[in-house]
Amino acid sequence: MTQANAVEPVALVADRLTKVIGERVIVDNVSFQLRHGEVFGFLGPNGAGKTTTIRMLVGLIRPTFGRVTVCGHDLRRDFEAAMRCIGCIVENPDLYRFMTGRENLEHFARMLGVARTEIERVAELVALEHRLDQRVGTYSLGMRQRLGIAQALLGDPQLLILDEPANGLDPAGIREIRTLLRRLAAERDMSVFVSSHLLGEVELMCDRVAIIHKGKILKEGDVHELISSRREMELRVDDVDKASLVLAAKNVVHTVDDGVIDVAIDEADAPPLVAELVRNGVAIFHAQRKVHTLEELFLETTGGETVG
Amino acid sequence: MLISLIRNETLKLIRRKRFAVVMGILFAIVTIVTYSQHRLLLQQQRREWRVQLQQRVANMQNQLRRVGRTDSSWARSLRAEVSRLQFYLDHDIDPERPTAPLFVRRFVNVAGFLLLPLLVGILGSDIVSAENAEGTDKLLLTRPVRRWKILTSKLVTLWMFATLTLACGGLMAFVIPAALLPARGWQAPTFTGFQLSDTGFNAEAVRQLPLWKDTLIAFGLEWFALLCVAAIALLLSVLFKSSAASIGTMLASLIGGTILTRISPDWTAGKYLFVSALPLADYYSGEPPPYDGMSMMFCIALLGLWAAGALAVSYAIFIRRDVFG
Repeated sequence: MTQANAVEPVALVADRLTKVIGERVIVDNVSFQLRHGEVFGFLGPNGAGKTTTIRMLVGLIRPTFGRVTVCGHDLRRDFEAAMRCIGCIVENPDLYRFMTGRENLEHFARMLGVARTEIERVAELVALEHRLDQRVGTYSLGMRQRLGIAQALLGDPQLLILDEPANGLDPAGIREIRTLLRRLAAERDMSVFVSSHLLGEVELMCDRVAIIHKGKILKEGDVHELISSRREMELRVDDVDKASLVLAAKNVVHTVDDGVIDVAIDEADAPPLVAELVRNGVAIFHAQRKVHTLEELFLETTGGETVG
Repeated sequence: MLISLIRNETLKLIRRKRFAVVMGILFAIVTIVTYSQHRLLLQQQRREWRVQLQQRVANMQNQLRRVGRTDSSWARSLRAEVSRLQFYLDHDIDPERPTAPLFVRRFVNVAGFLLLPLLVGILGSDIVSAENAEGTDKLLLTRPVRRWKILTSKLVTLWMFATLTLACGGLMAFVIPAALLPARGWQAPTFTGFQLSDTGFNAEAVRQLPLWKDTLIAFGLEWFALLCVAAIALLLSVLFKSSAASIGTMLASLIGGTILTRISPDWTAGKYLFVSALPLADYYSGEPPPYDGMSMMFCIALLGLWAAGALAVSYAIFIRRDVFG
């Protein structure tokens, strides 16, 4: 099966997914693809249809229209083969609290028909091997999150779908998970689908990102391309007026704000411009590319709604 | 694959401590009743059972004479009871002498009409809804296992535990009384098949069986009834999202149905309720059903239909439904 999956160019295809409940369109014509070995971020405010989309991806909700293909298997027609490629956590990592961590992992391992040695392996991956024999009811949210990821990793799936995996983790824990997910993507060619409201995390963790709002995908693309879609350089100089004249003479669009000059310019064009300013006797204290955060990008795209 | 799923469900049911609670309830009830039977035995050693039985028959006949020749369900059941007791008198059998085997035989009748269905209701009513309430259904249903297999594993597990509840109840009903009451008497003759026909009590159909055989038949009937109750509990568990709601509805329908059959036995549509047909062991022993026209076969078929309907609806809903938060 691994070989068959390896030749599939994409791990996950969401094709025109639509969910209508009564009169309300919850998810509207959402399409995207996940390549193998890629970490894909899914961003959107509360009520944007993020969770409904994830539930359609893992077969919990039937799409009104559209279809999901996992590693070449149609989710609806070939449910078992498709789900064998997926490990997931939907919303909270709700595991059986009245059982121990090990019993929980054994429970899901039996459903997959995988060996017991798998349990030790995944527990080690999330650094939970020493707490496995305690009841899940005694775990902190962070530990439950890690146990949730451990159960998702059982059976070595091709595709990991995680809803808010950073929830409840401290900064060190978030870093661990990020490192783990990047490593799984790089070493095992695993595709990871992550929804998150921590934009900084998505920026650090994901290769590509889709932004969903009111059930529709507004933007989808490479994280760095989206971030650097508008290039700007920030300049701090001794004589703002003189610098502004030089820039105007070169037809470079710029704005001056509180002694700081924002210049719209491609990275490659920056060195000659700096040289020109220096030749005209402008002293430069500081020249830096301005990086847009996803948050700014998101606010621009959605027209000011916050990300939740 | 199904075996693994059943193992999972068994583990969860045990870990939720439902079965321990059910066993605790059974143990407490059997112990208390045993003690009271023990007291009865001590008293009976000084009594004249024939005189008492004759007195009871005379009382009932007086009551019947007072109401005249009415044909209400109540009068008919009283007539049947008179005939039954008269039969014991004629054959010089003390139907009341407590022994451990007789206790087992009685247990299945007394517990079968409300207690055992209640316990199976406790076991089954949250077998699906608890997953829903705890949010674990999101993990359970996103594994490479078809939903019908998951529901089947839950049904089979429930049937296993319903069977186990009945078996453990029967075992307790023998072992605990055996400490205080006479433990022998499995060979004692019993009489079943008392039938009420239009012409009155029909003694032709009465068969004499050794107690052990009679007990086995009663347990078999009760077992069937419990499997049907389990199927209905599964349906409630699928319909309701909260465990409390499904357990509550199960208890209410069992108790409500029982009250209904006792309070308004003349509302004949009541005979199509599953609760009316539930005390199969009672009807087998000769207790008349609450409504006219309820033969043993009618009761068995009715329960079977209810169970089949409950299962059909459970599967249809469980397989198709969207799982929201």
